[in-house]
Amino acid sequence: MNKELEHSFVELLEKHQNIVHKVCRLYTNNYDAHNDLFQEITIQLWKAYPKFRGDAKFSTWMYRVGLNTAITLYRKSKRTIKTQDFEGVSFKIKAEDYDDTQEEQLKVLYKAVHQLNDIEKALVFLYLEDKDYKEISETLGISEVNARVKMNRIKTKLRTILNP
Amino acid sequence: MDELDLLKKDWNKESSNHTKVSVKDIYGMLHKKSSSIVKTLFYISIAELAFWIIINTIPYFTSDDYQEKLDTMFPNEYVFMGITIFSYIVILVFIYFLYNAYKNISVTDSAKKLMENILKTRKIIKYYVLYNLIMMGVSLAFGFYLSLQHDTNVINSIESLGENGLIIIITILAVFSIIFLVIFWLFYKLIYGILLKRLNRNYKELKKLDL
Repeated sequence: MNKELEHSFVELLEKHQNIVHKVCRLYTNNYDAHNDLFQEITIQLWKAYPKFRGDAKFSTWMYRVGLNTAITLYRKSKRTIKTQDFEGVSFKIKAEDYDDTQEEQLKVLYKAVHQLNDIEKALVFLYLEDKDYKEISETLGISEVNARVKMNRIKTKLRTILNP
Repeated sequence: MDELDLLKKDWNKESSNHTKVSVKDIYGMLHKKSSSIVKTLFYISIAELAFWIIINTIPYFTSDDYQEKLDTMFPNEYVFMGITIFSYIVILVFIYFLYNAYKNISVTDSAKKLMENILKTRKIIKYYVLYNLIMMGVSLAFGFYLSLQHDTNVINSIESLGENGLIIIITILAVFSIIFLVIFWLFYKLIYGILLKRLNRNYKELKKLDL
């Protein structure tokens, strides 16, 4: 693959890397696993890049490849097993932004989201990224109605965790 | 306020706590090896193809005895040639299907479609192994039957076992075949079970959503 293509890809990815980091943060719970998944998503994005036509937004395209890698393609590497857990570090909330209750609520919420299964996490991720149900349903390959129903169930589930 | 809206506020406000990856790092990552399950599946399918081709051809090429035996068993050489050509056509057909299946796997499809295409590929490999196992069983049974007709050594050893010689031999062969099949099946389940555990779980979850 030519240098120009490589260069344009690297620049775009560097600019939008936060999307990949967010996927990694949802699907991994330690530093090494995060880096490992980030690398795998990068490889998958790069492999698919020559077919990226630009008719979709690069970021939208990244959501799909990123989630597909996390949910389906990624095989945990051996080196990610014995590492320090960074739960609580990754989602550190700035104290000055919230009152204590809200801060506490957020901590519990992030923890609860981490406990969801892979598909539920994908739905939450796309919801948090402000995607509409049409895009959510297309990304996951389910109907729009079912995406909506499932999302409501997840909300109820989180509410129950938060207010037992 | 909705719990998720509270989360959303924080999610969008919070820039990544993770160290930013530099352009140089990204360049480095592009040339690293992928650890995707599709890649592993691809290597396994190549190994399966190679394994069965070797199993089927090695004895034929290396052993003169085996060749001679085959010649006496197949009085009509066209029958043997026909079977050989058939088995190679089957291999080519499987290679064609596998190639198409891999070509259809695209990371930019929807999650469900991607999973379906991977599972379809795995199914083709499964049918290939199944075909080989059946062919192996049939040829072993056929070989045994022909030995009973032509091989004096076999006939003599069965006779030496007494009245129930044939039943004893058949029972021993059946037990060994079953043991072989069970071990093979367990090995197969283990490989694909580990590899596709997560995919199967997520695929079931997605299917459940669309019921």
